[in-house]
Amino acid sequence: MTVTSTQSPGAPAPNAAATPAVQAVGLQKSFGQIRAVNGVDMSLPAGRIYGLLGPNGSGKTTLIRLLTGLASATSGSVKVLGVEMPSRTNLARIGYMTQADGIYPELSVWENLRFFAALYGQTDRTAMVRTLELVELDGRLDTPAQNLSGGMRRRLSMACALSHKPAVIFLDEPTVGVDPALRVQFWAHFRQLAADGATLLVSSHVMDEADRCDELLFIRDGRVLAQGTSAELRKRAGTTDIETAFLHFAAEPAAAASASTAPDAASSKETAR
Amino acid sequence: MNPLRLFAVIQRIVAQLRRDPRTLALLFIAPLAIIGLLGWVLSSSGTATSRVAIVDDSGSSVGASIAVKLTDALKGQPQIAVQADVHDAATARQMLIDKKLDLVISIPKDFSLQNRKIELETLGLNPTGEAMAVPAIQQALIKVVVDQAGGVIPAIERTSVYGSPNATQLDTLAPVVVGFFVYFFVFILTGISFLRERMGGTLERLMATPVSRSEIVLGYSIGFGIFATLQIAVVLAFVLGRLDIPALGPLPAFAIGLGVKTVGNPLVAYLLVLVLGLGAVSLGIFISTFARSEFQILQFIPIVIVPQGLLGGFFWPIDQLPNLLQPIARILPVTYAIDGLRQVMIAGADLTSGQVLMDLGVLAAIAAIFVVLAAATIRREIA
Repeated sequence: MTVTSTQSPGAPAPNAAATPAVQAVGLQKSFGQIRAVNGVDMSLPAGRIYGLLGPNGSGKTTLIRLLTGLASATSGSVKVLGVEMPSRTNLARIGYMTQADGIYPELSVWENLRFFAALYGQTDRTAMVRTLELVELDGRLDTPAQNLSGGMRRRLSMACALSHKPAVIFLDEPTVGVDPALRVQFWAHFRQLAADGATLLVSSHVMDEADRCDELLFIRDGRVLAQGTSAELRKRAGTTDIETAFLHFAAEPAAAASASTAPDAASSKETAR
Repeated sequence: MNPLRLFAVIQRIVAQLRRDPRTLALLFIAPLAIIGLLGWVLSSSGTATSRVAIVDDSGSSVGASIAVKLTDALKGQPQIAVQADVHDAATARQMLIDKKLDLVISIPKDFSLQNRKIELETLGLNPTGEAMAVPAIQQALIKVVVDQAGGVIPAIERTSVYGSPNATQLDTLAPVVVGFFVYFFVFILTGISFLRERMGGTLERLMATPVSRSEIVLGYSIGFGIFATLQIAVVLAFVLGRLDIPALGPLPAFAIGLGVKTVGNPLVAYLLVLVLGLGAVSLGIFISTFARSEFQILQFIPIVIVPQGLLGGFFWPIDQLPNLLQPIARILPVTYAIDGLRQVMIAGADLTSGQVLMDLGVLAAIAAIFVVLAAATIRREIA
C-alpha cells in the first residue's frame, strides 16, 4: 500500500473548532509500581480512523479501557464526544470490540447480536440484520457461536459492538487471528464507518496495518511516542519503513519524544487538510 | 516407560501444585477444619443439657411420689436440667413449643400401679436431636417405678407436639434436604455461570454497554430464579409425592417419589426455598469474584456449603451446638430455611405463624445483603 493511499481514505477534514471525539488530558493508570498508562494527552477529531500502534504490553488495552471508562484513571481525565467519562449513558454512543471475543458460545449468532443490541437500546431488527450482512454472517443466524470458526466469531464480536451505530468505536486488536482476506474486508468496513462519520480507534501490534489508518499513535511503556500520519512519521524518522520509524521514536529519550508529540499532532492536522 | 518423561510429568504436577496455594490449602487445611468442626459439634452435642419438666396429673400419692423420686434421680444426671417450677401440662406444652423445654415427662391422670403408663413428650421438629436425653430418662424412670411399685416395669410412651415420634428419618429429614440441596445447586450454578461471564470477556463487554449493575444482578436473579422455581417444584413434588408403579411382567413394583407426609402448605414451603434460592444466586455472583476457574468455585464448597450442613440444624439443634458456634449458626441462611421448612412441613405452620414469618424475613434480609455485595463486585473496572 502506498503513502498516497494512506492519505486518500477520504476522511473529512477535521474541524478544529468542533468537539474532539476523544480527548484525554494527563491520563495515568498505575497498577502498583507499574505505570501502564503514563501521562497520555490526546485530542482526536471525529470521523477518522486512528491506529494505536505498539508492542504487546505497551498499554494499548489499558488506554482503551480508560477511554471507555471501564478502568478508572489514577489521574487525568477523559472526554468522549464531549462527555466526561466514565458515563453510563454515554456508553450508548460508544462501541467497544474487546480483545477477547466476548460472546456467549451457547447462544446463536442472532441471539448474541440481539442481546448486546438490546443493552445498547437498539431494537431495530432491520439495522441488526444489516450489521450481520456487513460481517457476512446473515446466513448463519441460527448457528450457535461455539460452532463458528475463529474468524466468524471475530466478525460476530465486531457486529455486537456495531449494531447500535456508535459514533465512537474502540477496536482492541480486531484483526488478531483473522486471515488476510478477512482483514481486508474488516478494513474496508472500518473505512465505510469512518466515511459515515464514526471515529475509530483501532489498536494493533501489526505495523503493516498502519497504512490503513488516517493517523497513528505510537505507544510504548504507556506513553504516546509520536502522533501523525504514516507518511509523516516515516519522514520524520528518515525511513520508508513503519517498523523502523517506530523503533526510531522508541529509541528517543522520553522527554524529547513527548516534547515532539504535540507539534506532530498539529502538523498532522495540517497535512490532512 | 521412559523415566525421563515420567519424571517430567511428576515434576510438572508438583511444581503446579506448589504454586497454587489455594489448592494446597484445600488439600491440607480444609479437611482439618471440617473434621475439627465436626468433632467440636459432636463432642459438644453429646454433652448438651436437656431441659426437662416433670408434670404429675395423676393426683395420686403414687404419682406424686414417683415425681419427687424421679426429680431427685435426674438431678444427679450431668446432662439433664430439671425445671422444678413447671407443674401443669398446658404450661409445659407451651414451653416445648417456645423451645424453653426439650422434654416433658408426664404422669397421666389415669396413672396407677396397674396402669403404669408414663409419657415422654418432645417437640417433634427434630426427633433425632431431641431424643438425646431419652435413654438416661428411661433408665431413671424404670429404676424409680420399679423401686416404688415393687418390681413392675412402667410402660414408657413417646409422644411429640408435632409429627410423630415414630416418624421415619426420611419424614423428618425431608424438609431439610429440600432446602439444603436447592441452595447448594443454585449456588454452584450461578457461581460458575458468573465466573464464565467474568473470564470469557462477556462481563467486560456488558460493562461497556449502558447496562447497570442492578439490572445485571436482578436479571440474573430472575433468570436463575425461573430455573430455581422449576427445580424446587420438581424436588418438592418428588419428596412429597409418590407414584406407585405396579409390577409389570418381570419388573417388580416400585414407586417414584418419596411420599413424605407433610401437614403444612407446600406453597409456603416453596416460598421459603425460593427466597433461600434467590440469596444463593447473589452469593454465587459474589463468590465468583474470588475464583479464577470453575475448580476454584468448587473449592468454596468446604467454606460455604459444608459449615451450613454441619451448623444449620441439619442434624443437631442449634441450642445443642457449642456456645461459640451458636451465633455463627444463627447468621447462616440454611438455618432459617431448615427451621421454616420444619415448621411448615412437620408442625403445619403457615404464613400466620410468627416463626415462619421471621424465618422468611431473615432469609429475605440475607438475600438482600448478598444482592448488594454481588452488585458491588460488578464494577466497571474489573481488571
